[in-house]
Amino acid sequence: MYEVETGARTRSVRVARAAGGYDVTVDGHERRIDAVPIGRAAWSLLIGGRSYDVGVVEARSGALTVYVNGRMVPVTVGSPVRGRHRGASRGQTPGIDRAGPDPGLAQTLTAPMPGRVVKVLVKAGDAVRARQGLVVVEAMKMENELRAPRAGIVGEVRVAEGALVEAQTVLVVIE
Amino acid sequence: MRKILIANRGEIAVRVVRACRDLGLASVAVYSECDRASRHVRLADEARSIGPNAPVESYLHSGRLIDAARASGADAVHPGYGFLAENEAFAAACREAGLTFIGPTPEVIALMGSKTAAREAAAAAGVPVVPGTDRPFDAAAPESAIAAEAARIGYPVLIKAVAGGGGKGMRAVVSADDLASAIRAARSEAGAAFGDAAVYLERRLVRPRHVEVQLLGDRYGTVLPFVERECSIQRRHQKVIEETPSPAVSGDLRARIASAAAAVARSVGYTGAGTIEFLLEEDGRFYFLEMNTRLQVEHPITELVTGLDLVEWQIRLARGERLDLDPATVLTPRGHAIECRIYAEDPDAGFLPSPGRIVALTAPGGPFVRDDSGAEPGTEVPIFYDPLISKLSAWGGTRPQAIARMQRALREYDVRGIRTTVPFFRWMLAERSFQDGEFHTATLDDLLQRRQGEPFSTPDEDDEEVAVIAAAIHASARRDAGDSPPGDAVRLKPDPGYVDGLRGDVASGFPGPLTPAGAGSRTGGWKRQARLEALRA
Repeated sequence: MYEVETGARTRSVRVARAAGGYDVTVDGHERRIDAVPIGRAAWSLLIGGRSYDVGVVEARSGALTVYVNGRMVPVTVGSPVRGRHRGASRGQTPGIDRAGPDPGLAQTLTAPMPGRVVKVLVKAGDAVRARQGLVVVEAMKMENELRAPRAGIVGEVRVAEGALVEAQTVLVVIE
Repeated sequence: MRKILIANRGEIAVRVVRACRDLGLASVAVYSECDRASRHVRLADEARSIGPNAPVESYLHSGRLIDAARASGADAVHPGYGFLAENEAFAAACREAGLTFIGPTPEVIALMGSKTAAREAAAAAGVPVVPGTDRPFDAAAPESAIAAEAARIGYPVLIKAVAGGGGKGMRAVVSADDLASAIRAARSEAGAAFGDAAVYLERRLVRPRHVEVQLLGDRYGTVLPFVERECSIQRRHQKVIEETPSPAVSGDLRARIASAAAAVARSVGYTGAGTIEFLLEEDGRFYFLEMNTRLQVEHPITELVTGLDLVEWQIRLARGERLDLDPATVLTPRGHAIECRIYAEDPDAGFLPSPGRIVALTAPGGPFVRDDSGAEPGTEVPIFYDPLISKLSAWGGTRPQAIARMQRALREYDVRGIRTTVPFFRWMLAERSFQDGEFHTATLDDLLQRRQGEPFSTPDEDDEEVAVIAAAIHASARRDAGDSPPGDAVRLKPDPGYVDGLRGDVASGFPGPLTPAGAGSRTGGWKRQARLEALRA
């Protein structure tokens, strides 16, 4: 039995080998699925005569990205351990990592993609407005100005101009 | 001419290698550190290392490129587009080194590369130009002087880099309040991208189309203009879809715009392949925008409707051949062609770059589809360069047929491991304004604004159900094959028979680094499993 999570839903899935494929039970509803592996990371599924070309790629943190006829579906296969996986990475604005739900707590500005820090526009102790530019990061020839998620005081600047940063690197902490 | 060094990377380097091979010429690729394993290196006859990853240390390093050409015994250099393609100093350095630069002369590159000098040349040839600055503002010019000029021209204005291209160093300014920060941004971006922070101003026209004319010129004074390309579908001044002919251009307008383009090119003694860009207003008036003194990214669609190989013609013209084509055939489109620029960008995250490893890639094929790609399964898309990975083109007898074929091809385009703009194109080609051919240069930005970040690739109920089934079958089959689960988050119940010894296999990547999906360097679980399945069935 697998707990398979996608979108807002978690389904209980049981898989059993059967002639010509698998018997797959999703939330109590059983179906015979004709499934043929295509190499190590893809499947051809025939479900009720319809053909699905499916790719499976392991994403970060062990979650899977499943491609169904070219459309991407993020999926987590796991056990329902107190909903631990549920929504773990959802509901956040890219590049803004909330340190806590209380707006009085520190917030960090993170790099949304790998790149090079071209310019640091603030220093520790500066008061900043919401959406004020803090750091300019260049990636793939375009400069992207990363802005303050909210107003506050710059607590810490963790990068220097010219630094190469990975995605999700904390650049600036705002208090 | 026997051997050509290609001073570029990615899909355009692959494109030029192919043209060389078609003509029986040898090709020399160059590569920075991270490009050692790239496709252009492996397809070329020879390859030379030119330094570290930073463009200024490799693909923008004129000296190292010339050294590589000399050392390999090349007698000509093809610059592709971008990098040093429009750098007159590089063209001059090639000439001094006794190498044929496949492009116009350094003098013409310098003249047309300066956007203000190019405007003067166009005006002198009797072609209207967009109202704007007469002389550029260098890096030291005070912001107050630029503000005064902006007020004279009238808002909205565009700040543009004198050395610019591809929307880099360009900013639109609606009111005087926003001018100062836009000037700083444009100068900084222009300085970083082109090593020249000079900018100029131009009136921003209302709802113009971007229409451009491809042309070829030989050394004997013949200049031939081609059927126009429509490039109005742009995101923040970067072309994303091009087509030819333009749905907005009649036969009469085509003749006028083509002869205007040819007049400008003739007046400067243009040789080789080049493109003159115009802004076309709704009333049919058009204005000279700029000239690109190189091969254009979107050249394949012109090749599809004229049947001519533009890279082959660049090479033939560079070695002194005559341009003996029938002017009528290059100005008369045979059918319709569309190109989509497939970028390694995440359209669902504001088109942020999405570098990384492509774990699986299936490019579309079939009737009347062309894919100019520099990527393949295993390709690592680096952060150092432009994120274009492929140009997908489709041809049809009519515009609707070309659109239908493009949609079919986009449906087949399958890239895994990184995000690409493919889902965006699937949406865009179905858009009413695109299908009707009713758009201008701001249409796409308006449409995106209205979507407010709504994702392009939302899976529907059916997709999710199938994904759930596939994920469970996948996990089950892996477990039966004795593979350990693909990572910590995947916890199987009952216990999957987790075997420590297999951890290395999983840690080394799934489906495996540099291994095309299905090519399977490991013959372990999966293949044996498939065989057993087949036997059982």
